[in-house]
Amino acid sequence: MNDQVRIVRFNIFDRVFHVFIMVTFLIQAVTGMGRLLYATSWGKFVVNLFGGYGGATTVHNTVGILMIIGFVIHIAYVLAKVEWKSWRKSLFDADSLVPQRADVVHLGQKVRWFFGMGPPPAFDRWTYWEKFDYWAVFWGLPLLAITGLPLMYPLAASRIMPGWVLNVLVLFHRAEALLAMLYIFIIHFTIGHLRRGMFPMNECMFAGSVELEKEREEKPLWIARLEEEGRLEEAIVPGPPYWYRVMYFIFGYTALIVGLYLLLTIIIYRNYIEWH
Amino acid sequence: MHLRRLLRKAVLQAALGLLGALVLWPPAAPAQEEVTSSIRRYRERELSTGYYEEYEVKPRRVRPFVGAPEVVRRYPSVTPYRPRAAVEPNVRSRMEDSHAGIQFYELRRCEECHVEEAKHSHTTRGNLTCRQCHGGEPIAGINYYYSPLNPIRRHAYVCSKCHEGANISFATYLVHEPKAGDPATRKTFASLYYSNWFMYLLIVGTLAFFGLHTLIWVGKESYHAMREKMKPEPQAKSPPEKPEPEEPENE
Ligand code: HEC
Ligand code: HEC
Ligand code: HEC
Repeated sequence: MNDQVRIVRFNIFDRVFHVFIMVTFLIQAVTGMGRLLYATSWGKFVVNLFGGYGGATTVHNTVGILMIIGFVIHIAYVLAKVEWKSWRKSLFDADSLVPQRADVVHLGQKVRWFFGMGPPPAFDRWTYWEKFDYWAVFWGLPLLAITGLPLMYPLAASRIMPGWVLNVLVLFHRAEALLAMLYIFIIHFTIGHLRRGMFPMNECMFAGSVELEKEREEKPLWIARLEEEGRLEEAIVPGPPYWYRVMYFIFGYTALIVGLYLLLTIIIYRNYIEWH
Repeated sequence: MHLRRLLRKAVLQAALGLLGALVLWPPAAPAQEEVTSSIRRYRERELSTGYYEEYEVKPRRVRPFVGAPEVVRRYPSVTPYRPRAAVEPNVRSRMEDSHAGIQFYELRRCEECHVEEAKHSHTTRGNLTCRQCHGGEPIAGINYYYSPLNPIRRHAYVCSKCHEGANISFATYLVHEPKAGDPATRKTFASLYYSNWFMYLLIVGTLAFFGLHTLIWVGKESYHAMREKMKPEPQAKSPPEKPEPEEPENE
């Protein structure tokens, strides 16, 4: 793997954010599911790992606050990255994650390609599903935060809103969490691990770099753009060291197993899950 | 011609003025009336005395549930929660002993008869017993005037035993949540009902779209790869004829 030419794709901030969201998301998923299924033996078992119902709640709340802080830092980071002098170009160029007309076109081309009616779309730096992954988390996190904070402090919340709003917030919190888990554990995992060429694991989010030749096929426009602008040379980086690869393989597969275990739990205990 | 333009302008201005007046006009002052046809005063009287439906006038658009007046006034609820709007008036709800005359009541447990009421997080997760909120025998109906769970004193008599400083607004939280998907909930708790549908459609839509997308995609890629793998075999059998079979890359 390391004898290939590799170019940089994610900087250190992106990677740290990703690891951060992985860890916090899984903790929230485990403590949340444990409490949701507390009436079952599985729920009791999981909750007891965190020192009982109260312990699991404390962990859930604390990590929730951590996630909010992380999200605020991320917003600051994103705002700092935009070049405000030429904000229109900065927001809507091909290096930006903002959804653009091209994404709709790509989706149409992809669907046509699915049914053998045309060539596959030629992607630039971000494909539309990668953008969706990003924005799904970007709106899921605030939704969970906005619904979660009042539930954390129901008394204070009832001063600024009628108490019955909490009933509705519980519903949103659970349903959104369920959607996030199902999306990550089914679709994100499939795209990251199971696609051909990706198996056993798409390493770019951990290594931060991708193989140039592979990317020429997957994202031809991006590579072409880099070449045209003469930035390809400076994008070339050495591959990840061996010990680092071992580490993130262990880490990634642990997360994968936890996620699939939770997915299995959701399926097995689906009759006990009440999102209202 | 000229007259028509003028007229149109006048009508337009009048309409705009009327609209502005309607928006900016101060609301009718309820205190001018002796008899309570006013919703707010009616509600406040109910709140302070605990006597309900003493008047022939039914409350108009306002929910028959006691809320916190300031809270409601400051934060108008779009789809207010109206408990039991869909349910028949329940006589036992106003009785001192809601189980008076029910046979074998003493021999059975609460959750045997109240199956749905037993499924709420205070009991299943918070490990509370029914009696911690509903009190000892006789268990009063919710709307019995002296019931501790009567909305006028629920916050002070029950909730604040554990939630220190609970106010009326807090006590409007529904301990026994209705089933969000149940059609009856549309009448009793519309916002919960519609939120449920919204999230349901969001989840099903997202998963259906991206699930299918991923499935077809992974399937197609493996299919292509399988074809790739099969390709060299016929080549090996007849190498001279076909140098490189023109594989339609995209189909
Ligand atoms: C034998 C069956 C039975 C048992 C056991 C029973 N209930 Fe009831 N309960 C009823 C019936 C029937 C009603 C009246 C109809 C209704 O409200 O659904 C009622 C009414 C009530 C009400 C008033 C409902 C209202 O609308 O205001 C409350 C509160 C209540 N029960 C609580 C309890 C609690 C707490 C227990 C356990 C200590 C309990 N019940 C045990 C059958 C039972
Ligand atoms: C946290 C306090 C609390 C606990 C614990 C509790 N209830 Fe209630 N109960 C209430 C309140 C408040 C109401 C008024 C309506 C509402 O909020 O749903 C109520 C209403 C009821 C009613 C009237 C029908 C309805 O749904 O409005 C019944 C029946 C009832 N409870 C039975 C039970 C049973 C059975 C248990 C034990 C499994 C129980 N309750 C535990 C607070 C509680
Ligand atoms: C005997 C103690 C007790 C009483 C009485 C009580 N509660 Fe609770 N309440 C709890 C406990 C324990 C929790 C935490 C349960 C959990 O985390 O799921 C809780 C949690 C809550 C929550 C947060 C819900 C959530 O899903 O996080 C609300 C809202 C609430 N109670 C409302 C009420 C109302 C309204 C009343 C009065 C009708 C009431 N409680 C009476 C013990 C009580």
